[in-house]
Amino acid sequence: MIADPRAVASRWPVARVRVLAELAVIVTETPWLPAPVTNLTDDEVLHAIALSAYFGHLNRIADAVGVPLDYTVRHLPPHAEPATPPLVAASRTVVATLDRLAKRGPTALALVAWREHVFERDAPLALRQRAMIARHVGALLGHAVDGATPASSIDAMLVELAEVVTLAPWKLCASVFAPLRATGYDDAALFDACVVASTAGVLSRITVALSALDR
Amino acid sequence: MGLAIAGYAESTGLLRETYDRMLQRPLPPIYRPQHGGPAGIIQAHGLDPELIPKVFGTSTTLNGVGPLGWADRELINAITSRLNQCFY
Repeated sequence: MIADPRAVASRWPVARVRVLAELAVIVTETPWLPAPVTNLTDDEVLHAIALSAYFGHLNRIADAVGVPLDYTVRHLPPHAEPATPPLVAASRTVVATLDRLAKRGPTALALVAWREHVFERDAPLALRQRAMIARHVGALLGHAVDGATPASSIDAMLVELAEVVTLAPWKLCASVFAPLRATGYDDAALFDACVVASTAGVLSRITVALSALDR
Repeated sequence: MGLAIAGYAESTGLLRETYDRMLQRPLPPIYRPQHGGPAGIIQAHGLDPELIPKVFGTSTTLNGVGPLGWADRELINAITSRLNQCFY
């Protein structure tokens, strides 16, 4: 358990550890900012960015369903503090693509298969709603994409949920799901909405962070 | 309280088959859950059985291979998790 990730990123005595920690901080919080990459090879940077973005998805799904731990641990992490403010939305954008990930072929292929499963079906969420959420999440994370204007009150609720998933996953709880549930969304549909937002976040975090390296 | 977890015991059909396939994956002993079933994070995806191989297929390309070693990967995962205020 790491109590203060930023302290590791700024003060750990081993430079390589500091850089890896800072990379994870940037991918998670501000992927649109250039990350430090000294002491790392290009392949290590690619691996670190993809891994942090991927693990952020596991965090979000764990929070959405409230999954219990599988095993006992000596040092339990502190409970999430619901009052923790959300991560900030992007203050600038970058033109981002998955091209650079091609150097890590198996990961790129796996992400494409994942993306197709999540974004190329029409239920429970409609295709249009999936694209809307992806654009909104992308914009929050600094991906230069067209805006996503909700076409209905349900769309607005989906966008609101996507913001929580992306910027404040620790707030995911019954009250966050309640507005959509009141319109008839069941657990499967709510889970679909969380997965769409979280998957968009994985892809945007990777592409934006990789593209920001070029700035 | 979050969304429903479709646990192993109550799983049927495609979900049970998927859980069983996940249980057969090679896994370092340290990551094998004490309860003997699929890891909780896998069951957390149980509302969409077809998503499970996509997500954990990606994991295989990131966690079982380099260039970053196990300690580096655990560092990144722990930092990410803490920043997301998540105990997982």
